[in-house]
Amino acid sequence: MNAGTMSGGPHAQSMTGAHRKPRTGISKWLFTTDHKLIGVMYIWLGFFFFAVGGLFALLLRTQLAGPGLQVLNPELYNQLMSLHGTFMIFFFTIPILAGLGNYIVPIQIGARDMAFPRVNAVSFWLLIPAGLMMISSMFLQGGAAAGGWTSYPPLSDRQYSPGPGVDLWILGLHLAGLSSILGAINFVVTVTNLRAPGMTLWKLPMFCWTVLITQCIILFATPVLAGALTMLLTDRLFGTAFFLPSAGGDPVLWQHLFWFYSHPAVYIMVLPGMGMISQVLPVFASKRLFGYKGLVLSTAGIGFIGFLVWGHHMFSTGLDPSLRFFFSLASMVIAVPTGVKIWSWIATIWGGSLRFRTPMLYAIGFVALFVIGGATGVWLALVPFDVQVHDTYFVVAHLHYVLFGGSLMAIFAGLYYWFPKISGRLYNEKLGQAHFWLTFVGMNITFMPMHFVGILGMPRRIYTYPAQYTSWNQVATLGSYVLGVGMLLFFVNMLWSLWKGRRAPEDPWKHVDATTTLEWTVTSPPPAENFATLPVIR
Amino acid sequence: MIHGSPRFRYTLMAVAVIAALAAASPAWAWWLDPVTPVAHEVRTLFIKALALTGGFFILAEILLLVAVLRFRARPGVPAATFHDNLRLEILWTAIPAITLVILAGPTFTTLKYMETVPKSDLTVEVIGHQWFWEYRYPEYGVVFANEPLVVPQGKIVAADVSSIDVVHSWFVADFGVKMDANPGRVNHTWFQVERTGTFRGQCAELCGVLHGDMHIEVRVVTPEEFERWIEQKKRGA
Repeated sequence: MNAGTMSGGPHAQSMTGAHRKPRTGISKWLFTTDHKLIGVMYIWLGFFFFAVGGLFALLLRTQLAGPGLQVLNPELYNQLMSLHGTFMIFFFTIPILAGLGNYIVPIQIGARDMAFPRVNAVSFWLLIPAGLMMISSMFLQGGAAAGGWTSYPPLSDRQYSPGPGVDLWILGLHLAGLSSILGAINFVVTVTNLRAPGMTLWKLPMFCWTVLITQCIILFATPVLAGALTMLLTDRLFGTAFFLPSAGGDPVLWQHLFWFYSHPAVYIMVLPGMGMISQVLPVFASKRLFGYKGLVLSTAGIGFIGFLVWGHHMFSTGLDPSLRFFFSLASMVIAVPTGVKIWSWIATIWGGSLRFRTPMLYAIGFVALFVIGGATGVWLALVPFDVQVHDTYFVVAHLHYVLFGGSLMAIFAGLYYWFPKISGRLYNEKLGQAHFWLTFVGMNITFMPMHFVGILGMPRRIYTYPAQYTSWNQVATLGSYVLGVGMLLFFVNMLWSLWKGRRAPEDPWKHVDATTTLEWTVTSPPPAENFATLPVIR
Repeated sequence: MIHGSPRFRYTLMAVAVIAALAAASPAWAWWLDPVTPVAHEVRTLFIKALALTGGFFILAEILLLVAVLRFRARPGVPAATFHDNLRLEILWTAIPAITLVILAGPTFTTLKYMETVPKSDLTVEVIGHQWFWEYRYPEYGVVFANEPLVVPQGKIVAADVSSIDVVHSWFVADFGVKMDANPGRVNHTWFQVERTGTFRGQCAELCGVLHGDMHIEVRVVTPEEFERWIEQKKRGA
């Protein structure tokens, strides 16, 4: 493989001419190594699991519309709750960010493809068997894994979860993890080696920086999850006892290993979103990004400190108090680089010339909601308060302000922003804005009340609840339906626009010089291999 | 096109709805009415955290709103061109950092306070099962399950928390107590309830199918009543 060269090689040349009619043949998709087609497939896969995971969430909220309802039985509730988390994290957020990165990063750095196009295809196609394992487990004896996306042993051990559900969950995550690791190597090599002449690191667009740092996190964190999953699998199938107290193992070990991956995973899901926001805000403010270097350094800072805070998920586990104090301090420190980002974004739009198109609405919505998730994050770093609300709906509210208000809002900002570039068509602006308002308002109606029931003491992951929590839960359920309507509009808009939308010019957003990036200098969608002659950046 | 004013109206509407719901909500339990010294401390710490971080939160949201309302694109008004300001950047790095150092102080003292189990008047062993709680009073030789835990008012109760099967978590919000029940380990916590009454909680760590039904009830009675109750229990009633 010609890893170090600029050329995409013969496999990419065979794609020439295919990009304009991507639906002409199934084999174009099956055998492609074009980063753009692979990126598009990631996005489709992501939204498939987003729809499934979202429907699960609506079912869960329907079950919780009142105390003692019987929409779902407890077994099914726990399975759907576990798959909702697993799908949204491993099969929606992470892949769709990989997809947008796949499509956009090579163009933004002025490359013709990823460094390893075939590995890139493998990364994507690994997700299909992974997803099939997850989905099929629901229809097997005993159903899907039901231990939450955290799957703590001994509950996830064979004695307490005897069916094949957990085994398939482990193997599915293994494949998804392998896909991530291969993708991470590919992204890091691409961004470090394939930048166009003159594209120095300090000229790298913010989205590329955040993808680069995110992929480094994946490279260091995901193998740890793979190790932990393997230990759990051998405990279940081959009689080892890493996590079994009855044979000298320790369930708390799983919690350490799991969160050593899963806290950095939050940044894996949020940092590329922050990169997209850092790109969208300047474009629609017609003003250069404020504090570029500060934003890069704060991203790197979050990426590094993110590895030192996993213990804050374990404050009620019984860790030594001095260890807990360390994790508490480290978690608070994260707020400093996060704050730098938030102030820089506000300074970016301050004095700008703001155009409130859908991507901009989502970007501003992101900042407004992420501030809430950030504030509750600081409180959760304080051990005594965390112990009080740990494993209650307060945490559910916090994580949804970070991952829904953060990652998802950013994904929508990026998707609306790049939709014309990727599809070559314009989406319907009115429907896009309606989607934004339903999402922004519905999101707050759904998740804000969860802070309150959490503080009152309602634990998470319960299929029914005592009557005193009823009113807030009804509000949350109502909000989730508002979100459901919004997402329906989104899918209608996207599908209709793909089919009938107006043709998009090279640069539908009319970037000013200070905010434009290379993808807006080529056609929509870009030609195979992106650039006839490689751009030179001055 | 969305203009500033509808956005503002939406915001006002949302604030009004949330305020109305907040006013209509049930009592804020430990938050308004903490019943143990630890719960008092946790509440004090939370208020400090709210005060210290609330300013930043409000400032950020207000600046964002002002920017959205003020800097809408107008023909003939060009965008500003500034894009860095080292002094400002140092300032907005340093001030939050100093604030967090200030917040770390009470966090540490509260943590130390809740972690140090004082000399206790009574020890109870709390053992999680799928899906019920077993309680033991080793000083009295009393063991039972599926019934409320009974403790004397004003006495320091040390709880040794463990599990027989999967991970559970013993959680009574009013007490400010949440302690994981890990199989193969014993965790120590304590509480001292200031007034009599019945307090409810439930298992806080997903423990299987009926996790949602694993309730906790603690009856806090006067010390005299406790003596009578424990004597009765010892006789096997």
